[in-house]
Amino acid sequence: MVIVEDEPRIRRFIRAALESTGCQVYEAEDCARGAIEVGSRKPDLVILDLGLPDRDGIELLRGLREWSAMPVLVLSARSDEADKVAALDAGADDYLTKPFGVAELLARVRALLRRTALARAAASPVVRFGAVEVDLAARSVRRDGEPVHLTPIEYKLLSHLVANAGRVLTHRRLLAEVWGPHHVEHTHYLRIHMASLRRKLEPSPAFPAHLLTETGVGYRLMVDNGQE
Amino acid sequence: MADDGATRSWRHYAAALAAVGTVAVVGAPLLGHLDLANIAMLFPLAVLFAAVRLGRGPAVMAAFVSVVLFDVFFVPPHFTLVVSDLQYLLTFAVLLVVALITAELAAGLRRQRDMAEQREQQAQALCGMARDLSAALTVERIAAIAAHFASDAFGLRTVLYVPDDAGRLRVVRPDDSEAEPPPAATAVAERAFELGVAANEGGVVCVPLKGPVQVRGVVALVEPLGGESASGASEPLLDTISHLLAVALERLHYVTVAQHTELQIASERLRNSLLAALSHDLRTPLTAIAGLADTLALTPPPLAPAHAEFVAAIRDEALRTGALVNNLLDMARFQSGGVRLRLDWHPLEEIVGAALQARAAMLGAHQLVLDLPGDLPLVEIDGVLMERVLCNLLENAAKYTPPGSRIEVRGRVCGEALELSVCDSGPGLPDLRPEELFRKFARGRPESGEMGVGLGLAIVEAIISAHGGSVHATNRDGGGACFTIRLPLGEPPA
Repeated sequence: MVIVEDEPRIRRFIRAALESTGCQVYEAEDCARGAIEVGSRKPDLVILDLGLPDRDGIELLRGLREWSAMPVLVLSARSDEADKVAALDAGADDYLTKPFGVAELLARVRALLRRTALARAAASPVVRFGAVEVDLAARSVRRDGEPVHLTPIEYKLLSHLVANAGRVLTHRRLLAEVWGPHHVEHTHYLRIHMASLRRKLEPSPAFPAHLLTETGVGYRLMVDNGQE
Repeated sequence: MADDGATRSWRHYAAALAAVGTVAVVGAPLLGHLDLANIAMLFPLAVLFAAVRLGRGPAVMAAFVSVVLFDVFFVPPHFTLVVSDLQYLLTFAVLLVVALITAELAAGLRRQRDMAEQREQQAQALCGMARDLSAALTVERIAAIAAHFASDAFGLRTVLYVPDDAGRLRVVRPDDSEAEPPPAATAVAERAFELGVAANEGGVVCVPLKGPVQVRGVVALVEPLGGESASGASEPLLDTISHLLAVALERLHYVTVAQHTELQIASERLRNSLLAALSHDLRTPLTAIAGLADTLALTPPPLAPAHAEFVAAIRDEALRTGALVNNLLDMARFQSGGVRLRLDWHPLEEIVGAALQARAAMLGAHQLVLDLPGDLPLVEIDGVLMERVLCNLLENAAKYTPPGSRIEVRGRVCGEALELSVCDSGPGLPDLRPEELFRKFARGRPESGEMGVGLGLAIVEAIISAHGGSVHATNRDGGGACFTIRLPLGEPPA
């Protein structure tokens, strides 16, 4: 793992938290050093602060995405949703707003690492969350063993979320991939179809456990419910 | 043409007499050398001179005097008005007609020349005024230019009125003048401003200054004491002046608007960077406190249960302070720049779900009852801010009610509005007037040990009213508080 963060105390506790789970951790205090560490260590995961002294963390992220798909968890002290969207569109997999607890951090890290593990193991085409089972090969969805009928758009949306389980997908990205690049402004399409997906798949659509909303940013499919 | 004073016109008549007299004196020695008919030809010369130089009245007088002098001094018998030969009557008649026609023609020419001269002067003055106005940077300067021009062109006083922010006319005092406008003028000006047409009353002419966009003020032309009436000013000229003034005022208005906007943009940029810096500086240490406390718990050897509790408390307080910082920064943003909405169409269910998810840890001990019909229409709201509203209401409900009690979230369509309520079954609201409840820093129970400075409901109020909605707090019959939000329903997109 590589942590790029300018505040030594924050670096220190993230390191301690990650090491307690048995990870090897490298630190960098600015973008320049971070780029070198990421390039030479080829880590499984990068934890990147956006407000770095020399450059914006987003620039490092863009550079990294030119050659690698390694998961990146962004830390931000800004609460503005536009900053999060910018980081996610630049290739971040998830974000955490400061201040956060270690449990939250570790849950996000685990979710992202599981994703890469799944991808490496040429994941089985069947993904389960809650009482729902999605078979990507057979293009079928079951809830409590009963087949669920989804419209083509709903299925396409669900399969994108499943393929990116654990990651936050921005509205823009989901719209571009499901509806096409001309519809990136029509977020209400997305909201309507997400609502009907929830009604079909979630036991309590107004308090979803898996198809989560990141208001102002996008959506995330939480396969393990994030509550370990 | 009413420019000759009494003395001046008297002098003109005297000069005309002198001219005719001179002709008579010059003609007298020639009597006997020249034919009488030829001498008669000299008199129209004097009349022509009078007409060209002195005006119509002196010229007409000169014509009659010429005939009399010719009769008395040149036609025999001399020194009487008696005429011996009747044929001279014809000479007199012709002389008089020629002289009068000459006078008339010459006076007409003179009048045209004078008018042309006056027009040229006015055109020059207008040019000068337009040039001055284009350089004017204050309303006072515009008033001074108008006053200067009017006194040059009409010999009149002007008063410039412009509306203030409340739309009431006020007098603009030129830089160099202290004079009070006559009170009557103000009333006439107000009428002209309201109706948008020129008003003429009691010697005061008020012309509304109609700019391309709106009426920018009124200019009043006031006669100086004992002077001529202001009604004498020519209408097209007044039109031109009022138009020039209106355009100048309008230009000034937009200059002010542009400056104001620029200032606003600059101050907003400053405010945003200030808030961002503040947010960063407050959150960074809080992150370190929360994280380091957690790390302490994770680092072997394991902590004693009491110590573990302290460490968890440190972390919780740090995270809660983080939430407080959010509220403070939000309130600062709303207060200084107003609530900026990023509106989009949302299903209410999704916002409720996101808020419940965000406050899941707090609500864990409570019983949640959700009643959101599946057919609720989309509402046009700012999702992020509305989630903040619900979070604050849920947080309040969780904070002020005992664990295990019910928290109900209900939504329904009620006429032209969508109604969303968050109700609890706790002790209910204290006897505060509703407006006090939503005031900043108000707390239900001042001495209670709960965290928070009472910004939560003030933020809720600010966000909801920015959406054009309303929020009400009531106590339920069976006990417990109820917060009800009403949002206007629009026409959702297809």
